[in-house]
Amino acid sequence: MTTVAEPRVRPQPSTLTRLRGWLRNPWGKPRALVVVTWVYILWSIVPVLIAVQFSFNATRSRTVWDGFSDRWYWGDPVDSVLHDPALSNALAQSFKLAIADVLIAVPIGVLLALGLARWRGRGSGTANFIMLFPLVTPEIVMGVSLLLVFSHVFTFIETGTTAQILGHVTFSISFVVVIVRARLFSIGRQYEEAAADLGASPFRALTRVLLPLLTPAIVASAAVVFAISADDFVISQWLSSGGPTDTVPVQIYAATRAAPLPSVNAIATIMMISTLLIVTVGFLTWRFFTRGERRAGKAAEDFGRAFDLT
Amino acid sequence: MARSEIRLSKLTKQFDELTAVDGIDLHIPGGEFFSLLGPSGCGKTTTLRMIAGFEQPTSGEILLDGEDVAYTPPHQRNVNTVFQNYALFPHLNVYDNIAFGLKEAKRPKAEIRERVGEALELVQLPGYERRKSSQLSGGQQQRVALARALVLNPAVLLLDEPLGALDAKLRKALQIELKSLQQEVGITFLYVTHDQEEALTMSDRLAVMNHGRIEQVGAPQDVYEDPETLYVADFLGVSNLMQATIVSAGTSTCRVALDGYELETRGTDRDVTGEAKIVIRPERIELEEHGSPSGPNRIPGMVERVVYVGSAIQLIVRSATGEALQALVQNTGGEIPYEQGTPVQLHLPVDALRVLPSDVGDAPSLEDEEPDPETVAAG
Repeated sequence: MTTVAEPRVRPQPSTLTRLRGWLRNPWGKPRALVVVTWVYILWSIVPVLIAVQFSFNATRSRTVWDGFSDRWYWGDPVDSVLHDPALSNALAQSFKLAIADVLIAVPIGVLLALGLARWRGRGSGTANFIMLFPLVTPEIVMGVSLLLVFSHVFTFIETGTTAQILGHVTFSISFVVVIVRARLFSIGRQYEEAAADLGASPFRALTRVLLPLLTPAIVASAAVVFAISADDFVISQWLSSGGPTDTVPVQIYAATRAAPLPSVNAIATIMMISTLLIVTVGFLTWRFFTRGERRAGKAAEDFGRAFDLT
Repeated sequence: MARSEIRLSKLTKQFDELTAVDGIDLHIPGGEFFSLLGPSGCGKTTTLRMIAGFEQPTSGEILLDGEDVAYTPPHQRNVNTVFQNYALFPHLNVYDNIAFGLKEAKRPKAEIRERVGEALELVQLPGYERRKSSQLSGGQQQRVALARALVLNPAVLLLDEPLGALDAKLRKALQIELKSLQQEVGITFLYVTHDQEEALTMSDRLAVMNHGRIEQVGAPQDVYEDPETLYVADFLGVSNLMQATIVSAGTSTCRVALDGYELETRGTDRDVTGEAKIVIRPERIELEEHGSPSGPNRIPGMVERVVYVGSAIQLIVRSATGEALQALVQNTGGEIPYEQGTPVQLHLPVDALRVLPSDVGDAPSLEDEEPDPETVAAG
């Protein structure tokens, strides 16, 4: 039996159908997902941009735009970030903590990662798992327990900068370990074996081969540690002894509860831009050291993966 | 020039409950090109890694020129390795990669420069000093890895499937190069591969490994022509295996019965009685026209399949005894003389037929596949 195919007349699609087709075209880009992504990006970034904008406001208002001014950064002789001792102290304290945190947590974290990646056998699985605890422990729990430790066990450490640094280091190490260990696994043991084969002692293999290959991960983890330390509110607050040991987030929180001025926006902007700069430098260093090692675009992906953990 | 001999004595390596290397004894005289051949998981790489020092033997000895090095850490052993994936340091250029070992040995700068230059000359890559390994092709990386190992003048050079990652044509070219390089430098080469062709073309002698044991050691020709076990017969090249009953066995000739046909085969030193396997290589089977005068060692058959391979024509012939036998006919450029269904007469020459006891060594089969000890160890 044969059927004569009738010439098919396609009806003119409606706008709605066309839009649906544009979104759902299975051969095209995943446009629906792209739309969702952009909506999210705008949703999350627009409030930040508005906050930044009002840090440049010419009047004391944080809601009504009255023209551009630098007064909240340095122009105002009393209330600018530069001249308000509470704010400038907080900025200094935040940077002090972040830098100390990087300098202490990164070396310890790298050594721990090396140890954990090489350690096989009983206990190694548990140790690897426990390393992840600080990543999932609610910060408030960690803050409270650290305060208990410093007020009851290690009473010679008073709250203040030292306790804050120790607190930050405690939770930062995990991030370093996770990032560096991931890189160690992707490097594998082959380069170490090759170095040993060519006559390098384990220590020489570490310094001549492993550390250079770990550099991107070390830089990335330093950037992450800086960012999370600068960002931290809970631990900084719990372990602060008040006044000069308040960090930027603590200070912002306190100021917003009183009568906030645009100088709060200004200090937040400074923090944000410094963190962004540090992370960008970290990313560029990562890319520089891993160039030629991977396909284009993979660097960003790997680096991003390190940040997914934060 | 370093020409060191290796002697392995009851060398054993166990990973948890898996025995990767099961008490092997092996002697490799100085200056030999020796291959360890076997499928993945047979223990060949583990053996090499123990000689290099990356794995500690569970028991046994590794004697390098008579000295037991089994408990010497890898960086203190005078052996160097060419790794399967080369393991060139990605953060160093070609020069620094090759100079790595010399710097560790604290050689003077001028000497390092000279020796690196010579090594690059040796592997035909002069002028590549400043390149990064990512800028090199696979074959070039392989040469740099070779230069990096050879520049240290090792007592033994270990090669772990160094050609595995290269394409077929380059692999062939490098096989010949590697062999002549070995003859030039005179260093003992221990070459690990699963590729029987590589092992056959390059080695002075080779060992066929299976399940952590050595099945047979010998010159390529001996192992190929005179396999001692079914496993070796089947692993090296293609073998036709047939079940037969021993009629009489002797050192000069044997007689076997095969489904109503009686065949004469080469003699055997072994004491074989009852059921046995007989083996013949495809290229040794001679095809005669149907109706040719019958004679000893001749069985009628029927062409079942004709496969054009290029240089040869492969025929699957069903013999009157029921076996499907593979035969090879040289491609001389003319018409293919056989087609499916052509009746033929198979001639199995006496000197090409060999008797193997059925119980010596198990033939490899897919069910035999075991996890690679390396991956097990890593997991």
